[in-house]
Amino acid sequence: MPSCISCSKRIAPGEKTVKFPCPSCGTVTIWRCERCRLFGRTYTCPGCGFKGP
Amino acid sequence: MDTQQSDTLLLPQEVLLSAGVHIGTRVKTKDMIPFIYKVRPDGLFVLDMDKMNERVKVAAKFISRMDISRVAVASSKRYGRLPVHKFCEVTGAHPLVARFTSGTFTNPTYSHYFEPVAVIVTDALADQQIVVEATAVGVPVIALCSTDNNLSNVDLIIPINNKGRRSLAIAYWLLARQLKRELKELTPEQEFSVSIDDFESTM
Repeated sequence: MPSCISCSKRIAPGEKTVKFPCPSCGTVTIWRCERCRLFGRTYTCPGCGFKGP
Repeated sequence: MDTQQSDTLLLPQEVLLSAGVHIGTRVKTKDMIPFIYKVRPDGLFVLDMDKMNERVKVAAKFISRMDISRVAVASSKRYGRLPVHKFCEVTGAHPLVARFTSGTFTNPTYSHYFEPVAVIVTDALADQQIVVEATAVGVPVIALCSTDNNLSNVDLIIPINNKGRRSLAIAYWLLARQLKRELKELTPEQEFSVSIDDFESTM
């Protein structure tokens, strides 16, 4: 089961989440949960260290 | 900003400064603090041009990995309409300008239904409905943000002045050129056939 990159919360199927490849390196898939997205919490790519949003 | 960093800018510093791409507003949000360079004596917050530069490159790289025909580019702002149209004409993206009808991303029975893979918005606040629908369908949102925007439901920001006419033209022109470079349709030495003036909205 995937987990949110910012808060490490497990993401269940059907939840309002987003997944996308890291904007910088494109190798790591970033999952963001609904709350982290809503509050604009930062995420860091474990592959290249890119900090978003 | 030191000289070494300024050499790596996508456009000469004078062009960017004269267009006012670095000028923010008198309001700053907590989310935008990392992208603010300084405060002017008149109270205007100034954006960091190196970060803007870096983010344009990252955004272009990000979009280049997607099916560009399914990337929606939106602007409900008057000065953003022509730059968005021109950007879509050059790159093949899908323009969403003027009034946005609710359900465009979420209602498959709607005649103008569009299923995007990513959404680019000119102002996260002005294009709020688009951001809400993109969140509902779970697609990444790229937003041009000034110092007064918050990053709610935004996945990648480009810190740039999103209010100026010339600034918006430069923002979309830079993004289009960088996207062409990422797609190997344009070499770094090659001139981009479209000028910034073509992207600029008339009064």
